[in-house]
Amino acid sequence: MNTTTQTRTTTERLEPYIAIIGPMVMILAILLFMGVAEPARYFRATNLNLILLDAALYMPMAMAMTFVITQRGIDLSIGSIAALSGIMMAFLIKQYGFSVYVAVPIALLLGALMGLINGLIITRFNVPDLIGTLAMDLVYRGLALVLAKGLVLARFPDFLTDIGRGQIPGFVPIPVLIGIATMIAGYVLLTRTYFGRYTIAIGSNPEAAELTGIAVKRHKVYAYVLCGACAALGGILLTGKLNAIQATSAPYFNLHVIAAVVVGGTSLFGGRASMLGSFAGVLLLSMMINALVTLRIEFFWQSVASGVVIVSSVALYTWMQKKDRDGAGGWLAGLKTPDGQKMMRFSAALIGLLIALLALGGLFAGTTNPSG
Amino acid sequence: MSEPLVKMRGITKRFGGVTALIDVDLEAYAGEVLAIVGDNGAGKSTLIKILTGVYQPTEGEMFLDGLKVAFSSHADAIDMGIDAVYQTLALADHLDPAANMFLGNELTRTVLGMTFLDNKRMRSETERVLMERLGVRLKSLDAPTESLSGGQRQAVAIARAVYHEGLRVLVMDEPTAALGPQETARTLKLIQTLKAQGLAVILISHSLDDVFEVSDRIHVQRRGQRVGVVETASSNTQEVLGLIVGAEEAA
Repeated sequence: MNTTTQTRTTTERLEPYIAIIGPMVMILAILLFMGVAEPARYFRATNLNLILLDAALYMPMAMAMTFVITQRGIDLSIGSIAALSGIMMAFLIKQYGFSVYVAVPIALLLGALMGLINGLIITRFNVPDLIGTLAMDLVYRGLALVLAKGLVLARFPDFLTDIGRGQIPGFVPIPVLIGIATMIAGYVLLTRTYFGRYTIAIGSNPEAAELTGIAVKRHKVYAYVLCGACAALGGILLTGKLNAIQATSAPYFNLHVIAAVVVGGTSLFGGRASMLGSFAGVLLLSMMINALVTLRIEFFWQSVASGVVIVSSVALYTWMQKKDRDGAGGWLAGLKTPDGQKMMRFSAALIGLLIALLALGGLFAGTTNPSG
Repeated sequence: MSEPLVKMRGITKRFGGVTALIDVDLEAYAGEVLAIVGDNGAGKSTLIKILTGVYQPTEGEMFLDGLKVAFSSHADAIDMGIDAVYQTLALADHLDPAANMFLGNELTRTVLGMTFLDNKRMRSETERVLMERLGVRLKSLDAPTESLSGGQRQAVAIARAVYHEGLRVLVMDEPTAALGPQETARTLKLIQTLKAQGLAVILISHSLDDVFEVSDRIHVQRRGQRVGVVETASSNTQEVLGLIVGAEEAA
């Protein structure tokens, strides 16, 4: 009896940190694996620097996306916002001779404006967030292409490359400081301000939020504005990092950032936010991609690995979330139920058919006809 | 008896062609529990929504403490000291009890000219209000509200209403509908506590057992009309049931 109450209090005490456990376990797994497989090259200071530099790019966007997802929203347009605001900033600097100190804030405001448009489309025209931001993703990307044509704009003032890839000697790169600063600001915003409190309330129970007099739509718009501004910051960091920008830059930012946030334990169903988890999620994805590079695995496997990591950490997370694990009788027990049996038979039929067709094709295969 | 704290006179409410309330009177006294009972569609919810300012009456007038009042919104009613605890409780389950209690009405402090939420003070205030007003102590104020029991969640929702110092009338809509026997007993005790503090409590319930246990008077609605008000002490379930279904009229 005594032991059961003891374990219960431990789980209760662990409850607030449960979000961070998933990505932490995965990070540990990567560290262990790389410690065995390739310790010399993975744990070099320069390599750790590279991991941080890569992660820093996504930190501001992951911070903002945490708010959007916590409000039961989603923003698929951040990659295009990053590209478009980066391109516009580049044009202001290269074509119109703007000072970089003016152009960078302008880019941030342009991103915020694009976020505002997203937010208004979603709250005023009642376009579902998934469709609204997907469509605006096309719009912003298209505008970037219209503006830049096929041009690559390169060679920017030192200030930009400094914030994109500058190194403080003997310490971390400048973008890492910027990224961590935004995450800390996000944490304070989430836990200590009206905006953060209402963000959780709206995602947790929109009707209750409305009843208690919270301006639900206004706070939704705020989240999208924040997301737009942070996407622009991502675009600025990317421009500085590469010292170049083109219309097709930042193609998969949206999915990468959403993956990092979800892996970090922020619930897609709203209400459950974890800024620390988002930070860990960003680190995890960067560490994994770096590990693949270090292992000299073909570049194209990266997206396979990202997908596997996302699915497994979210599955792990929901499994840990499940309160009632007793009586389930192991995870294979589900196969014995009538419904599980039907699913088994269906899967077997599908795979069987595929094998049969493959065999048939192999049997009657003619001479090959290389496309190259 | 003294002058009623809340007096509603000749309240009629129409929604387009549907008449939900016809010429309804209601009186509630301070330090009293008034139960409103009636079948589905009898106009209970509409009546309290008018009282709490969510709806405006088509006809009729309301008096609070002898003064004529008219609410244009729920916020107006709250300002005048009339609040409601809804059946769904309107809690954000992922936030902790303190955050829920102050939702939409947060305590703040200013640091370097910027406004931040004062989580520490909200927590201590929540603990104080729960203990002093409701006699409830939660095991942990850090856990999200979803981990609390039904009765504890109810206590948090009630605490949110009573935190407003000027609260004089508390409307409770089906507070025991989703609760087990123990939690129901605890909630009924909370209602007694609030009554002892001089609040006028208006209780809407389908459970006549609960109504007879806790109320002082019972207001019976049927088909949008008040068909009777009985003193709980001098009545019984049979009589009230008869009023609800209209048996006496037919007999």
